[in-house]
Formats: sequence, structure tokens, C-alpha cells
Amino acid sequence: MATAVVARPVSRTQTRSREEEVLVWPDLVFIEFIAAMLFTITLFLLSFLVNAPLLDQANADVTPNPSKAPWYLLNLQELLLHMNAAMAGVIIPTIWLVIMGAFPYFDREQHGQGVWFGTEKAVRLTIVSAVVGFVGTWFLILWDSGKIAFFLHGWFGLSGGDSLRFLENVRSVQTQLPWPEWSRNITYSPVNIVIIGEDFQHLDFPAWLVEQGIPTMAMVGMSAMLIFSLWRVGWVVTRRDALIVLFSAFVAAYGVLTLTGTAFRGQGQELVFPWELKVSEGIPGQE
Amino acid sequence: MAVEQPTKPTVGDKLYDMMFHNYVWKSIFRTGYPNTPRNQMLVVATNLFLHLHPTRIHRTHVKITHTYCLGGLSFFMFLGLTVTGILLMFYYVPSVERAYLDIQTIQNTVEFGQLMRNMHRWMAHAMVILVFMHMMRVFYTGAYKPPREFNWVVGVILLVLTFLLSFTGYLLPWDQLAFWAITVGTNIAGSAPVLGPKTRFWLLGGFEVGPQALIRFYTLHVIGLPLLAAIFMAVHFWRIRRDGGLARPL
Ligand code: HEM
Repeated sequence: MATAVVARPVSRTQTRSREEEVLVWPDLVFIEFIAAMLFTITLFLLSFLVNAPLLDQANADVTPNPSKAPWYLLNLQELLLHMNAAMAGVIIPTIWLVIMGAFPYFDREQHGQGVWFGTEKAVRLTIVSAVVGFVGTWFLILWDSGKIAFFLHGWFGLSGGDSLRFLENVRSVQTQLPWPEWSRNITYSPVNIVIIGEDFQHLDFPAWLVEQGIPTMAMVGMSAMLIFSLWRVGWVVTRRDALIVLFSAFVAAYGVLTLTGTAFRGQGQELVFPWELKVSEGIPGQE
Repeated sequence: MAVEQPTKPTVGDKLYDMMFHNYVWKSIFRTGYPNTPRNQMLVVATNLFLHLHPTRIHRTHVKITHTYCLGGLSFFMFLGLTVTGILLMFYYVPSVERAYLDIQTIQNTVEFGQLMRNMHRWMAHAMVILVFMHMMRVFYTGAYKPPREFNWVVGVILLVLTFLLSFTGYLLPWDQLAFWAITVGTNIAGSAPVLGPKTRFWLLGGFEVGPQALIRFYTLHVIGLPLLAAIFMAVHFWRIRRDGGLARPL
């Protein structure tokens, strides 16, 4: 290994002895057949019991409340409620897909492949990161919807008074702090750069902070801090470990966002409990 | 030492010979029934469909807990969706006037139509979940490591294609659920800086979800995206073989 400057992908196949081998027919084909049958039967049963939904015919004049994307996009729709639309809807998912695609080019170590949780602390890292991702995402959602301030007040009678109003949710950082007037209109370019109809010359710093700065810090900063602290305690040793932390936190956050968007967002995208969730079919001219 | 005496062939043996050792069977399958190691390897090697597999694999890879069959089941969902999808295409016309009525006809009039639609719908959901879980299994078994880097990238592309397939299908029933989900979904795409509005316009063939959007989504859903997915799946499977089967400890 000492001579390898760049870990070259191994092009020759690994050798194995005949004793380690089994025949595809019957050993593998049999398993595949059973798996396929189980799924066929389950899906048939499901299809007998539960019908695919079909609502009224599409009508552009009648907006249901809430209107929701398909469930696997509700994580993005949830993000959308908390930050700049372009960032939540397109930039973050795109960057994440690129990062994920680049995993194997970052972790080029060949050892530890082909077994579950191939590093010493992998299981521990997975659990810790998933829990942090889960709790952290819920915390951010609750904070931004003002529920934390609401609960603190309603349950414990705690109130920060006017001086802490800016902590109520993310938006109040922009609206409740005495930002100087100039910070709301910072000119960063001498000429206006227009790219396909969009202007780039002035910056509203408090708005930028709330819509892009804080979300970026929350995502990049928290992941970095998590990896860093797990490295400091000696659990993250290899690049593979760092990826396990990142990926596990992602899966947890993705799950929470999908679940929130699906089951916890009621009319007007208010945060509600699943059993309070109602959809108004949207009668024209009525809310 | 007892010497084995040839026994008289039983009725079963004769039946077996008749079925598997005749001219027609051999013309189709080249091998006898795969009940000997030789025939078992031959059948995998000479059958187009089984030949996605090698004839022999490493022992650890038939352990259910190694793959949980997730990749295979994703592929199986894709096949099932193709079959049910083709059946649905017999009745469905992607026009704003007919789409919704056609779905109603499928459900109420066509024999097994409701079942067919249900299967297609639930399989689509299952595929999204299975592909995601397959990705998790590949990640946690470290199977993206060299030499499988590029197959992981192909996988990420397949993940996106799976989402897109499901998303384009979502509009087709042309009910309120479909219409507004796609409106919300394409608004998300439209929010991209600089290219967003153009992308949205290109996807919908206009500024809102209407007849042009329906025909575009339909075309992508029934031919464009499945074709792309099939190509990438072919590459995916080919690479698994080329990389020496599934990953295992060095
Ligand atoms: C339509 C989607 C997909 C299909 C049909 C598919 C199919 C398969 C199949 C049948 C296998 C053989 C082993 C197994 O069943 O686990 C496999 C392995 C693999 N897949 Fe996928 N896959 C899909 C998506 C993905 C995704 C999203 C990724 C990752 C981002 C991925 C990465 C891989 C890798 C790296 C292997 C090799 C695993 C190993 O060596 O252990 N695939 N895929």
C-alpha cells in the first residue's frame, strides 16, 4: 500500500476458493423467488384491501387547504416553510445529491467493505448521529414555528419578555432586533448585475440572515460540529466514520422532515398533531 | 459390500424423461431440468434472464441479512410497474377531457381495473421506499468503496429517476390530489435561482398545470423515464458483475 499514491480502483476481481461458493441455481434463485412471491402476495392483499385515492376531478379554481406535494417531496415542502425557497427546493437537494454521489471519491479506503458497519465504532456513531439528527430537526421545526416559546409560556409560565422576543422563531431575529437601517440595504456591487431577470446589487442583511444564513449554519454548522465532537472523543477515526455520521444524521433529518410534512402540517401549513389534521376541499369563494 | 443394482425406472422417472428430455424442451432450454450441478450452472449461463447472474456466487451473499434482497426487489417493483402500467395504458388517454373519466372507467367498469390501478399505485410507493432502503444497505455495508465508486453514482442517478418516475405518474389521474401536488411540486422546481422558472415552464409546457403538462408528464412517465431507468439499471447490473459480484471483505 505504501507505494500507492492514489488508491486505484481494483480492476481485477477478488479471488475466492470453490469451497466458499454456492450455485446461483438453486441457492440464490430460490431466495429471489421467495422474496418476489412474498411481495407479490402482500401487494395483492394490500390492493384488495385499500383502494388508490381518487378525489374530485382537477379544478384549477378550487385550492385544497393544505395543498401538498407527493409524500416523498414533503421533506422539501417542509424545508420551504423555514427558508429561502430556492435554497430549500433546489439548492439543498442538488448539493446533497452531489455530496452523496461523491462519497466514494472522498472515502477511498478499500478495507471495511462488504460487512455491515465495518468500522469499530460504526454502530455507536450511527445511533448517536441518528438521534442527534432526529432531535435536532424536531427542535429546529418547533423553534421556527414558535412552539417552543408557546410551550414554555403555556406550560411553565415562562416568558422572556420583550427583550427576548427575537428568539420566538427564526423570523423574529429579523423583525424583533433593532437592526440599523443601513444593514437592511447593503450595496455590494457598484453596478446592478442582472441574470435572467434577477437583480444582484443590494443585500437586506437581516432577511438574508433569516432566510439563508441561519439555515445554512444550522445544516452545515451542526453537521460539522457533530463530526468534530465525535472526532474529539475519538469515535470518528476514518473518513468512513465521518461519512457514517453525515449519512445517518441525514437519514434521520430526512425522515423527520418527511413525517412532519406528511402528518403534522394542517391548514395553512400550521404545525398540528396528526389527529387534528383536516383538509378543506376548498369550496370556491370560501376559505 | 452391497453393489448398487440398477432399479427399474418408476412411473415418475418415465414422466420426468418425457417432460424434460424431449426435443421441444431441449430446443427451448438447451439443458435438462436443473437438478444436477452441471445443469444448474448451464441453465444460469444459457438463459438470458438468469444470465444477469453469474453461475456461482460467494457464500456470504446468499445470506438474507446481507442485502435483504432490497436491490432485487426494487428491480422487481420496476418490472411489476411495467406490467401493470402497460395494462393501464390500454384504457387511459392523457387528455384533460378524458384522463379523469378514464380512471373512473378503469375503476368501475374494467374487469380487475381497480385492482390493476391499486397494484400500480402501491408498487410505486413500495419502489421509492425500497430503493431508498437499498441505498441505506449499500451505504452501511460499505459497498460503495473501490472498485464500486461509479456504481454508487449510477445508483444515485437511479434514485433520482425513481423519484421522477413516481412524480410524473402522480399527475395522470387528473384529480384534485394530482393537480395540486404537481402544482406544489413544480413550484418547488420553479423556485430555483436563474434556471428555475425556465425549468418549470419546460416541464409544464406553460405557466400552469394544464393539457400540455399532462401530455409531457405522460410521455416522460411511460417512455422517457422508464427507458432511461432501464439503461441505467442495465449499467448498474453490468457493473456489479464486472466488479466481481457484491462487495465482501478483502
Ligand atoms: C432503481 C433503483 C435500483 C435498482 C433496481 C438496483 C438494483 C440493485 C441490485 C439488484 C443489486 C444487487 C445486490 C442487492 O440486491 O443489494 C444492487 C447493488 C448495488 N446497488 Fe443498486 N439498485 C438501485 C438503486 C441504487 C441506489 C440508489 C444506489 C446508491 C446510491 C445503488 C448502489 C448499489 C451498489 C453500490 C451496489 C453494489 C452492492 C454490493 O456490492 O454489495 N443502487 N443494486
